[in-house]
Amino acid sequence: MGIKQRNRLTPYLFLLPALALMAIFTLYPLVSVAYLSFTEYSILSPPQLVGLENYQRLLSDKVFWLSLRHSFTYLLVTPLIIVLAIMLAIAVNRKLRGIGLFRALYYIPVITGSVAIGIAWQFLFDGTGGPVNGWLLQLGIIAKPIIFLVEPGYILPIAMMMTTWMGVGYYMVVFLAGLQAISYDLYDAAKIDGCNDIQKHWYISVPGLRPSIVFVAVISTLSAIKVFDEIFVLSNGTGGMLNSGVTVVFYLWKQAFKLQNVGYASAVAMVLLVITLAFSIINVRLLERQED
Amino acid sequence: MRVIAKPVPSSRTGRHRAVWVSNLFWYVVLGLASLVTILPFLWTLSTALKGPSDAIFSLPPQLLPRAPTLDNFVKVWGQLPIWRFFLNSLFVATFTVTLNVLVSSLAAYPLAKMRFAGRDLIFYLLLATLIVPAELTYIPGYLLAVNVFNYYDTLWALILPNIFSAFNIFLLRQAYMSVPNDLIDAAHIDGAGELRIWWSVLMPIIRPTVATAAVFTAVTSWNALLWPSLMLRNRELYTLPVGLLALRGMFTADFRLIAAGAIMVIIPMLVAFLFAQRYFINGLTGAVKG
Repeated sequence: MGIKQRNRLTPYLFLLPALALMAIFTLYPLVSVAYLSFTEYSILSPPQLVGLENYQRLLSDKVFWLSLRHSFTYLLVTPLIIVLAIMLAIAVNRKLRGIGLFRALYYIPVITGSVAIGIAWQFLFDGTGGPVNGWLLQLGIIAKPIIFLVEPGYILPIAMMMTTWMGVGYYMVVFLAGLQAISYDLYDAAKIDGCNDIQKHWYISVPGLRPSIVFVAVISTLSAIKVFDEIFVLSNGTGGMLNSGVTVVFYLWKQAFKLQNVGYASAVAMVLLVITLAFSIINVRLLERQED
Repeated sequence: MRVIAKPVPSSRTGRHRAVWVSNLFWYVVLGLASLVTILPFLWTLSTALKGPSDAIFSLPPQLLPRAPTLDNFVKVWGQLPIWRFFLNSLFVATFTVTLNVLVSSLAAYPLAKMRFAGRDLIFYLLLATLIVPAELTYIPGYLLAVNVFNYYDTLWALILPNIFSAFNIFLLRQAYMSVPNDLIDAAHIDGAGELRIWWSVLMPIIRPTVATAAVFTAVTSWNALLWPSLMLRNRELYTLPVGLLALRGMFTADFRLIAAGAIMVIIPMLVAFLFAQRYFINGLTGAVKG
């Protein structure tokens, strides 16, 4: 690989626009947010250095700890989405008339956008008489409607369900590609060895999908830890009753853009950076181990 | 090898029946999954079609409107510039995609095919930016937009910060690497400059990957919520997601109108998806598979 240039500047000129934009929109903000995290800044007056005060405040900020707990709880989406997406991939990995239609259908939530979907989910879980309440009442599971999106215990699980529902079609396609790379011979051999259909998938599909599983785990944990849209839309921008749905990114947004505590919000942002850094390191390790 | 005799269907019709039963089973499974997928959309559509006399919430839940009407759509259309929101989204997505793909494919070429001092450094720097969550840049990004670039409350605020994507650069670099060096050497011998080679020789070859990057960037841009909602104040500039949020705020009490708005906002993307399904599925998934 590699070709000699006649003009030594050529490669740099090709890279220049990208690097300039990177410097302005990624590197500078990174340095800037790190600096701001050591200041008190409310937009109106210039930032004032306050040392570690913001970080000290974070330590005793109950809502911040709650938001951390919620973001980590949100990681439960990953195993759920992996299991569902594999099952769905197995279901659509067969020659049936109209199978393309089903695949497309499961993909629609992926491209629809979180606001419209969030609104649809608000309707479903409406507290005064949404269909979910209606069906639960009809089945006799509950005696009176649950105000799902207001009662503190429900908003986070509903948001997690929504994330899963929105993402599962996407991961289904990833797993479908993985399944199609597994040789038919293996399934035939399993059949001869007397595996039933479920064993067949457990002993062949799941191990065969290992690379895809690691890959999906990596991207879905990284996006789960940064969840914002679902909470924002489902709670009408409030973060839920008693902060019951507040995640780290939601708290960052609230402190920075609702309360104008820019310095404090920057400290939250730095915590987010440390978390994603830690996750990236774990992920790189996972990917490396897989290559062995 | 252990061979266990399985009850083999004795006749052709027996085998046929087994296939038929298995197919039926899978159709039922696929059908149930479809139901879960479309229910939220169906419920929203039904709510949007209900007139004032049709109860939205009743026991048992009533999915089909008794007297379907398009009044809600007409009313929302009259009160909010949905068409304008659509054009704004289109403008932002078009420019973001075009500029992003251009800048990324320019940057990816030397990273894949040229030798120069600092290449590894630049490579790892780009790799490192992949880790930085976009949310982290919103606070300084906001200050830049207001204090430095003066593009706060313009559509450029949604375009310019999204032209650089390390992700697309890596994706395209991968594509360039699969192009044989001989091809580039031959073009050199013919006297073509690097820019010519990039545009006329390489771009046509890596077009499928360019399409992948373009679709991925377009969908991300189209559905972006947080950053656009921070940047846009003037209602005339709203993109579809921001417009839909505003619409929900306006009609808080009237679920029928909110539902009609949501349906209208979904339609453009849905139509694009139906027409270019393969690109979407290959593109979005291919992009992350690298």
